[in-house]
Amino acid sequence: MTASATPPPEVISRSDTTMVLSMGPQHPSTHGVLQIVLEIDSENVVKADPEIGYLHTGIEKSAEGLFWTQAQTVIERMDYLAPSSNALCYALAVERLLGITDRIPQRAQTIRVLIGELTRIASHCVWLGTHGIDLGAISVFFYCFDLRENILDLSEATGGARMHPNYIRVGGLNGDLPEGLLARLDALIEKFPGRLRELRGLLQANPIFQDRTIDIGVLSPEEAVQWNVTGPSLRASGIAYDVRKAFPYCGYETYDFDVPTRTEGDAYARFLVRLDEMEQSIRLIEQARRRLDTPGPVMIDDPKVALPPKETIALSMEALIHHFKLISEGFRVPPGDVYHSVESPRGELGYYIVSNGENKPYRIRTRPPSLYNLQALKGIAPGNLIADLVVMIGSLDPVFGEVDR
Amino acid sequence: MPSTQVPPIAGAAIDPPSLRPPIDDAVIERVAPSEIRARLEALKADGYAMLLDLGAVDYLGRSPRFDVVYHLLRLAPKPASVAEVSTPTRLRILCGVEEDISLPTVSDLWKSADWAEREIYDLFGIRFDGHPDLRRIQMPNDWVGHPLRKDYPMRGPALERAPRPAFANKTNVVAGSPPSGRTLEALQEQVKRVREGRP
Repeated sequence: MTASATPPPEVISRSDTTMVLSMGPQHPSTHGVLQIVLEIDSENVVKADPEIGYLHTGIEKSAEGLFWTQAQTVIERMDYLAPSSNALCYALAVERLLGITDRIPQRAQTIRVLIGELTRIASHCVWLGTHGIDLGAISVFFYCFDLRENILDLSEATGGARMHPNYIRVGGLNGDLPEGLLARLDALIEKFPGRLRELRGLLQANPIFQDRTIDIGVLSPEEAVQWNVTGPSLRASGIAYDVRKAFPYCGYETYDFDVPTRTEGDAYARFLVRLDEMEQSIRLIEQARRRLDTPGPVMIDDPKVALPPKETIALSMEALIHHFKLISEGFRVPPGDVYHSVESPRGELGYYIVSNGENKPYRIRTRPPSLYNLQALKGIAPGNLIADLVVMIGSLDPVFGEVDR
Repeated sequence: MPSTQVPPIAGAAIDPPSLRPPIDDAVIERVAPSEIRARLEALKADGYAMLLDLGAVDYLGRSPRFDVVYHLLRLAPKPASVAEVSTPTRLRILCGVEEDISLPTVSDLWKSADWAEREIYDLFGIRFDGHPDLRRIQMPNDWVGHPLRKDYPMRGPALERAPRPAFANKTNVVAGSPPSGRTLEALQEQVKRVREGRP
């Protein structure tokens, strides 16, 4: 074969045996703006080096210039497929710095669990749909996005926005669930098991899907721990570490649910674990729903943190002052540092927050689950085919808003 | 490099972690940079198999200036079976670092430290000795400066040269503290120019 005069632009360099090729950052199967510098020997990957940072927006730096409540709006945009997990983790961490964790109303905690689990299902729907498309199964995508649409409708009803509702606040929630939402939730809960059976039916026993995923991207338990993989990807390797069980928050210890694990550690196991996880989420949603029949407050009764009820502002001078101070200056958080984490759909999402006693956070360090999960690609990609790389990226489920922040 | 973004905190308030008893379920330890490598090796042998997170904080004005924060996780003694869920423990290690001191890398102990250390180098400028591939990860390779440092202007170096409106400088400043930094200089320069009738 004669070498062509100009190699295609993806080819970075070429030697006798291997070629260095750039995959992405505009590749449709890299789930965002991921570039992988691949060293390949014909179709076999010798070395894969993911290049990230194309979506770096400096969220951690921006948050340092915003009030504690304002910072939450940018933080919610990190993991844009599960925004409420970010908001929840941030709110819990700030509440601990404020020392008000024990005073959050029970109803608010229950709704937080409900929102967290709905978010998990919605996020897994996007993962499953895009994972299916990567492997050529187009129809899964429509089934998944239809289900996700129902959940986004509920999100819109709670916070007013579909993607970033900003419903969970420091101290509780933005407001109680709107009227009629519980009835819509009941209808959705009834639909869930059937819809999940459909999703399973589309892929689980599909021979093409199994061929593409079984024994692909195997992550041994030791490797998974070395690469700091968390969430479903870790549990698919046989380690039952789940923040909801290990460090319970929002009263997860009072709910009855299992932590699904597999031992194979391949892409198919990660698929099964996520599907099982959606089933457990439905169990949690049902339990949370049953606790929501009794009304109650959803925001902490502390005028220094929570805005006063709107109707009191015209009647009470204190309420007016508190309202004005909270809007114009925000609240101050006592100095100290705290690390808090939640189980986001992708794994352990943590915030290490330092306060210097001011009305703005001094430093917010995120522990992004996607970043560490994606890094494991360096370990599992060598020795596989390029086509399988797409399966591996999909099965690790990275979200680039969070990887790059 | 003075900047309006530096919160004027003084005295004890400059080291928040030392101010309060831990409000965490983690054990907290402070280790000197010279001992950090030996301590982490010992901890890893002790069962802390997971380097949960590696981050940094810039306490401008304090000595040492930076804190590098390691979060370690010890899973249950053996990988839990499908039915049981492990009960792990967390450990936080704070390591104070001066601006010109570099830390030994731990990327050979935990592979996951690779990107975390690159990110700290990129955003804070803290170097890690022995890291196999210490280059920028989030910012472009030709970027100047380390954005998460407190003396790095919030709106980027180019925009910060323009004077900001007075209300933008009010927050996060303790009452009575004199304005400082480039904004004041720029405003004075502007006033001077107007008085002297220069363009």
